[in-house]
Amino acid sequence: MTESIIDLQNISVVFNKEKQQLKAVNDINLRIDRGDIYGIIGYSGAGKSTLVRVINLLQRPTVGKVIVDGTNLLTLPSKKLRTVRKKIGMIFQHFNLMNSRTVFNNVEYPLLHEKISKVERQKRVQRLLELVGLNEFAGAYPEQLSGGQKQRVAIARALASQPDILISDEATSALDPKTTESILKLLRRLNHELGLTIVLITHEMNVIKSICHNVAVIEDGEIIERGSVKDIFTKPKKELTRDFVDTSTNVKKALLQIKWDTQVNSLGGNQRLVQLNFIGGSSKQSLISELARDYHVDANILYANVDQIDGTSIGYMITIFTGATEALDESVEILERNGVEVVPINLDQIKGDEEQW
Amino acid sequence: MVNLIPNVVNMKQQLIDATWATLYMTITSAIIAGILGLGIGLVLIITQPNGILEDRIIYSFTDKVVNILRSVPFIILLAVIAPLTQYLIGTTVGTTAAIVPLIFGIFPFYARQVQNALLEIDPGVIEAAQAMGSSPIEIIFSVYLREGLSDIIRVSTFTLISLVGLTTVAGAIGSGGLGDVAITIGYARFENDVTIVAMMIILALIFTFQIIGDQLAQKFKQF
Repeated sequence: MTESIIDLQNISVVFNKEKQQLKAVNDINLRIDRGDIYGIIGYSGAGKSTLVRVINLLQRPTVGKVIVDGTNLLTLPSKKLRTVRKKIGMIFQHFNLMNSRTVFNNVEYPLLHEKISKVERQKRVQRLLELVGLNEFAGAYPEQLSGGQKQRVAIARALASQPDILISDEATSALDPKTTESILKLLRRLNHELGLTIVLITHEMNVIKSICHNVAVIEDGEIIERGSVKDIFTKPKKELTRDFVDTSTNVKKALLQIKWDTQVNSLGGNQRLVQLNFIGGSSKQSLISELARDYHVDANILYANVDQIDGTSIGYMITIFTGATEALDESVEILERNGVEVVPINLDQIKGDEEQW
Repeated sequence: MVNLIPNVVNMKQQLIDATWATLYMTITSAIIAGILGLGIGLVLIITQPNGILEDRIIYSFTDKVVNILRSVPFIILLAVIAPLTQYLIGTTVGTTAAIVPLIFGIFPFYARQVQNALLEIDPGVIEAAQAMGSSPIEIIFSVYLREGLSDIIRVSTFTLISLVGLTTVAGAIGSGGLGDVAITIGYARFENDVTIVAMMIILALIFTFQIIGDQLAQKFKQF
């Protein structure tokens, strides 16, 4: 069993606003293993930002226990807490760099009060800038940098005190997709090379898909679903989770398009509209042609896509099967036996913001 | 020249002394009120709701004191504060005695200016410093005062200029200085040229402060 580096127990955070109580986080338990990349996904206002701020006590929980690396943070005096915080790096959506300091001085800042020599300190800053690929910008001011470069500076700064944990609070939400990809790649590398545990919050399933191993879905201050990214992607249980997954795999968009297609709306009795999810090995077999050959079931493929999630291939297919009733039943059975998830689609239940496309 | 400003020529030395008196009052009270105001401005910032050392009681007390002191018209403050001046300085008349009401007249104003300047700093930067394990003292000196330096210089210049204005009002209690000269000699004796020259010297002082302040603020402003 791997040891959990973060252990949040029964965490509730209540804000008092003009005599009104707002429960931002409601009795959440969360354990994160050392070396994991753990994603927390939810819409804005779900409480995810409040939840991660509990980890380094930027937000004190109203109720609950915060245990990081075996230490109960809530019992620590403020000086000890500050020492612990140095071991929990944090990066933000808006970078939060100091505009009056150069890139070099920003990265140097966390080291200014450490007991190390100036030479050693400068060497460390140099190494960190190399790590994030910003050597030549050492003398620049944050305002002169692009968003992606600013986030790299912030990452270097967060790593200066050699933390065990890195909290990423929507760190890629203000960046374009290409820059997002490069920042995520850097985070993945840091996780791999330094063994850094990363806790990442986002509202984009693509971010989760591209680097996380585990994920928790949060809604109204509660974790409604959690598990490995692979499981969440292939077997989402809650509607919100399915929504996030479908948005990221484009299945939702495809379903909406299909719904508007009148031909699909008038299916015959010998036809079935289904969504097939191929996981791992099953995505590599030629099951569909087998069905056509052996059972005379024709597949009219409306949409198909293969994703790579945490090292596993996951395929999605929306198709209309046409054939004899018995053959159709048998086909579903064969598919399921081969590890393919078969989800019948009821178009009336497909809802979505039509402005999406 | 002599015809244009007949009275000034006769009291050249008096005007020079008055200028020094104005500078003395301005600078002495600026230093003391500056330290007080900066300190109280910082107290307001760090104890404010969600501040780094949030404290409702200290915040609302300080906030109210600043508000009340800011509300008293300076000319009345001069009179009200006279017993304190008497106690501290030993007299209520003269240049040094004027420094006490000047300090009380300007530091609450400056505290509010400093507070506003520091409010401009992105709270996210403060949060980042907290997340990095910075202590409140480190945050005050390495983040607030450093990130806010350019704005603090700007409001300091602004405050200094208001302070020069107040020194002239203090002329009403015989503080000496250019305001005193302009009122008690220029105005009372109908020697208009004295009033005008006193005003011009004051303007010269103010412009000098403004130019130096602007340049310093620019120097410390990073984009």
